[in-house]
Amino acid sequence: MDAYGGHGTQDGGAEVPRPDPAPRPGPGGAAPADAAPVTEEAPTAPAEAPPSPPRTGVAALSPRYQIGAAVALAVVAVAVCVHIGMVFLHVAPSNTVTKAHGEAIDEWIYPEFEQNWKLFAPNPLQQNIAVEVRAEVRTADGETRTTGWYDLSAEDGRAIDGNPLPSHTQQNELRRAFDFFTNTHNADGRPVGVRGTLSETYLRRIVLLRLDRDGAAGPGGDVRRIQVRSRSTAVPPPSWSRERVSLKPVYRTMPWWDVPAAGNTTQARAAAAGGAR
Amino acid sequence: MNRFSLTLSTAIARVTEAARAPYQSAVIRIGFATTWLLFLLREFPHRAELYGPDGPWSWDLAQQLLGMNHAFTVLMWSDSRMWFETVYALAVAAAALLALGWRTRTASVLFMVGVLSLQNRSVFMGDGGDNVLHLMSVYLVFTRCGQVWSLDARRARRRDAARARGELAVDRVGPALWAASGVVLVAATALGRFDGQEWLVPSLLWAAWAAQAAWWLAGRFRRSPQPRILLDVITNMLHNGALLVIMAEACLIYATAGWYKIQGSRWQDGTAVYYPLHLDYFSPWPALGDLLAASGIMVMLVTYGTVAAQVAFPFTLFNRRVKNVLLAMMMVEHAAIAVVLGLPFFSLAMIAADAVFLPTPFLRRLGSLAARAAGRVSGRPGTARVPGPRAPQPAEQPQVGSPM
Repeated sequence: MDAYGGHGTQDGGAEVPRPDPAPRPGPGGAAPADAAPVTEEAPTAPAEAPPSPPRTGVAALSPRYQIGAAVALAVVAVAVCVHIGMVFLHVAPSNTVTKAHGEAIDEWIYPEFEQNWKLFAPNPLQQNIAVEVRAEVRTADGETRTTGWYDLSAEDGRAIDGNPLPSHTQQNELRRAFDFFTNTHNADGRPVGVRGTLSETYLRRIVLLRLDRDGAAGPGGDVRRIQVRSRSTAVPPPSWSRERVSLKPVYRTMPWWDVPAAGNTTQARAAAAGGAR
Repeated sequence: MNRFSLTLSTAIARVTEAARAPYQSAVIRIGFATTWLLFLLREFPHRAELYGPDGPWSWDLAQQLLGMNHAFTVLMWSDSRMWFETVYALAVAAAALLALGWRTRTASVLFMVGVLSLQNRSVFMGDGGDNVLHLMSVYLVFTRCGQVWSLDARRARRRDAARARGELAVDRVGPALWAASGVVLVAATALGRFDGQEWLVPSLLWAAWAAQAAWWLAGRFRRSPQPRILLDVITNMLHNGALLVIMAEACLIYATAGWYKIQGSRWQDGTAVYYPLHLDYFSPWPALGDLLAASGIMVMLVTYGTVAAQVAFPFTLFNRRVKNVLLAMMMVEHAAIAVVLGLPFFSLAMIAADAVFLPTPFLRRLGSLAARAAGRVSGRPGTARVPGPRAPQPAEQPQVGSPM
């Protein structure tokens, strides 16, 4: 609170701000009652101003209204304390209290107060995870061919390079989608729960959008199937470090996914519900 | 015991008689609203891909996820492109109006609706910066953040001046806004648009709307000024409580970020900062990263310094001077993160959150500098167009940020 020290010194005694207690004929909820028109005593030296009784705050209320104010104060105080406590428990590590009352905490926090501040913690990510994709396309003259691998993360990286204002579409979209995907799939690449299915559809739609932009299918062609893989490469240790880390990329390859008929991105929406496996 | 009750009554007086920290609440209002505004403008070319009905996170996918988490968004009211464009435009307008402090309370509610609607529609597009804005947009609704540096404050000054001249100022915009939001609220509720969403945000919207009506009615109640004073007292309590929550939230952000880092081996061995600088997604200026990472000692100092500052920050609030030093450090570090890690909007949001701890004299100096600069730009020295800081008394008068 000492952040406001400079301010706190100014509101004692006669300078206490006061609303005009007189009812206002002024219309409009938007025109809340204003200040007492500046009277002569206000701007002059506070020392000379007689200590007038405060006309705001609970002291200005009659006992009956003071009860109302007390109740309101209690409600606000409790709500503030509970909220801060709940947010604390939400961001704290799993502990005795969260184990016992996890449900109540989640009930309070979700959906609007969810938060995660483990920024680069406990350890920063130490590998670059690139998402790559290749497609099986049916060309305009009816041939089927498989494209090479497109490194979509490298495309993002190039878009971010030298960019003072990277877009969320470049920095977050694919990166977080793939995070979501890996978090909702088990080691064999099978989706876990509804979120698993959602994440797969999401990733497929991003990938199709990107392939479309890259013109992967060629003029008049059509993407029939896609295959996604991730390539994880460790960040080489700093030059001054004696650590040795394998810089060989590790690949994780997903199975081929069918693209629903006319699988361009605008129509892929219809397929959102239907799994492509 | 006597001392205790004295302290208690002083404390109660403090939280009920005025909406504290007018400059701090104004600076965070401007900070968060501007951050979101700049973000929306920057993403304007990408808006459909991020939040549009046909984006990769399609309307149907969002529908399924929202069916599970019940988060608030008006974007699911329709899957038409037109509706999406309207909401995006309204979100931009609300952010601009909140930054300017035009009908601050209403603007803050609309700002919250805009932030929550877009972010909850596509949760996987956001990052830490979005998360900060999400929380703060809700907290801001409870504050009287338009007491200074706002069009509302200017309007109040002009109205007072008019009244002093004996003119009657009639406000038509306020009631019109209130009526319009009432129509929207009634329609949305009657059409079941809030069904399936968690009760919190819809009831907050209704409460804000009802509070404005109550405030207006209490002002017209001629028999006694008491109802109006009571509402004023409650509004002050809410403001002060929300401000405390905002400060606690900022502390929790730093505490979490710091304490979890302590447990990481890379933060312990002093190399942690090196790694994000070499991630493809967070290195817009690879040469800059290499330069910063060239010296092992340098990296270790920054690594340890970051953890120490984050862990220490909440505790430094007990000492004004140390707090101010650390605050300056945090702001500089966030400014650096904006450039080096390519996270400008996250950094802006964090700087705005930090600003709640800035000392009042500093903010007032900043305000008069800004007013003077604005006066110079407009070529009318002395007649600042930007509402400058006001004397302490009017600044604390509870009118401007009150309901609506």
